[in-house]
Amino acid sequence: MTLLEAILLTVITASTPLLIAAIGELVAERAGVLNLGVEGMMIMGAAAGIAVAITTGSSAAGVAAAILAGMALAAIFALLVLGLATNQVAAGLALAIFGLGLSGVVGAPFVGVPREGIGKIAVPWLSEIPFLGPVLFRQDPFVYASFALVIGVAWFLGRTRAGLVLRACGESAAAAHALGFKVLRIRFLALLFGGACAGLAGAYLSLVLTPFWTSGMTSGRGWIALAIVVFASWLPWRAVAGAYLFGGVTILQLHAQGAGVPVPPQAMAALPYVITILALVLIMRARGGGSAAPAALGTPFVPDR
Amino acid sequence: MTITRRRTIQGAAALAGAAALPGAAQAQSRLNVGFILIGPVGDFGWSTMHDVGRRRMLEVLGDRVTATQVESVAPPDFDRVANQLARTGSRLIFTTSFSYFQPTVRVAPTLPNVMFENATGTSTLPNLSIYNARFYEGRYVQGVIAARKSRSKTIGYIASFPVPEVIHAINTVMRGAWSVDPQMKIRVVWVSAWFNPAREADAARALIDQGCDVICQHTDSPAPLQLANERGVFGFGQASDMTRFAPRAHLTSNVNNWGDYYVERARAMLDGTWRPGDVWGGLNSGMFRLAPFTNMTPEETSEAERIRDAIAAGTLHPFEGPIARQDGTEVIPAGQRLTDDQIRAQNYFYRGVDVAMP
Repeated sequence: MTLLEAILLTVITASTPLLIAAIGELVAERAGVLNLGVEGMMIMGAAAGIAVAITTGSSAAGVAAAILAGMALAAIFALLVLGLATNQVAAGLALAIFGLGLSGVVGAPFVGVPREGIGKIAVPWLSEIPFLGPVLFRQDPFVYASFALVIGVAWFLGRTRAGLVLRACGESAAAAHALGFKVLRIRFLALLFGGACAGLAGAYLSLVLTPFWTSGMTSGRGWIALAIVVFASWLPWRAVAGAYLFGGVTILQLHAQGAGVPVPPQAMAALPYVITILALVLIMRARGGGSAAPAALGTPFVPDR
Repeated sequence: MTITRRRTIQGAAALAGAAALPGAAQAQSRLNVGFILIGPVGDFGWSTMHDVGRRRMLEVLGDRVTATQVESVAPPDFDRVANQLARTGSRLIFTTSFSYFQPTVRVAPTLPNVMFENATGTSTLPNLSIYNARFYEGRYVQGVIAARKSRSKTIGYIASFPVPEVIHAINTVMRGAWSVDPQMKIRVVWVSAWFNPAREADAARALIDQGCDVICQHTDSPAPLQLANERGVFGFGQASDMTRFAPRAHLTSNVNNWGDYYVERARAMLDGTWRPGDVWGGLNSGMFRLAPFTNMTPEETSEAERIRDAIAAGTLHPFEGPIARQDGTEVIPAGQRLTDDQIRAQNYFYRGVDVAMP
């Protein structure tokens, strides 16, 4: 394996949890709900995933539990912001803090229990393609899932009637409601999808990337996922670019340090953030300003009032 | 811990008593000890071992001592947490990170009736002690082992922050490695965190991809070692015995042991004999030990044991001259040793360490 292949492999594994969580949040935001609690749902997924995987001995059960845990937290959030129409920013921040705390309790009995990570699966035939094969098709199942999620979401949002309705809820809830669509139900489902993705991303951390449990192990990746949604201007394909740009710069700066490039590590550590902001500025300039956010993002909707 | 009125009165009495005798604590029948931890108790490294020490203290001193512990305290929150502990009756507070040293120096004079103990700090006050272990002694042994184990002759070092503690550890690893093979090289990645498992693992991946086949870590999670295991290279654990995370990769770990020190200091508070001190315990003090050597041949093991015992006995000194900086200027000539203050202030790499100082 060449160094370039090795770097790309690492970039993909570092970017995948960001991408999965960002895609889920993107769908929720396209439906008009801003859920700042991604970090909390993600770490609950990490905790529930490894807890169930260790208890049952089955990685698949762990992944399922992670998805359910993310959805459960999203459901609590939905109860607050859809059922009670509370402020989405406040509820989201509370959800993030709640998830961090609760995951510490759930994970406590599993601290320091080692576990083999989920292995990689080579796709027959495709993995034999020179260069691209080893990089793209000798990955773990989560990476394939992230590919499928992006394709699925892009198709759903852009090409289906249901996707159009979901976007309508995000642009103008009142108009969607007037047309007879159940705005709150659609938003609820979008939130659940976001929670499931965040939980899945969490499971990737605790079952594949670093297969053990410690509290706080997401280390802010949920917040990065939120930023990627904005960076992507709410478009699934751009979320791929955002996640891989961020993951890529993160990994490259580690390699640059190892190779002895004489740049202060503090500046290196800040590089992913700087590059992301720079790219965002350039994109906005190219578009000529203006916001790409769904018009009704963050606005509570109360039917018939 | 519950705060009863009696406890408050007790605290007030202790406060009045100590005010009469600044600095010198007087004998107390009961004591609450505060602990402030930089990471989660479950990091399985640095903070875990402070927690183990706390539990040891409670076990030995029994009913006379209680403890209040606050984990994952970010340095900006330090003042608030320290004041809160002092208000709720902690008369002795262990602040267990170098990141808390400056905050502790700032807060200690404002709470003259509370005795502070900072781990890895560099200076004392009338109510501030510092304590640390000579982890570099273990790093020297790691360097020797790394040189025996490495085929690519390149060590990968996952570093946290460019502070003297980390810098002199890197120097010491190379000293140990060069004592076996002067051709040994090192690559360093700074992850700007004491604890960030996924980034630590990414750093390990980068180093292994660049040809390092023995990984040293100066961060607290078992992630790098676990990755070394997966990739079929070797590594050393940090702070606790991490053998079970990497049964095929683990060579040894520096295993911290703060319990005996915590017992001694809490007992000094109870007896009224607490004085500010500066303790830097080596391999012979029991403040840390090396975990059993694993994945090594009998010859490698006996060599590592011989070096370890020589350091503990004081016949081998990791900071023996000659020492020169990267640019060639001499620090000390042959026959001399660095003083403790010189070690603690080390902010340069040795000649031959091919790494840019950040």
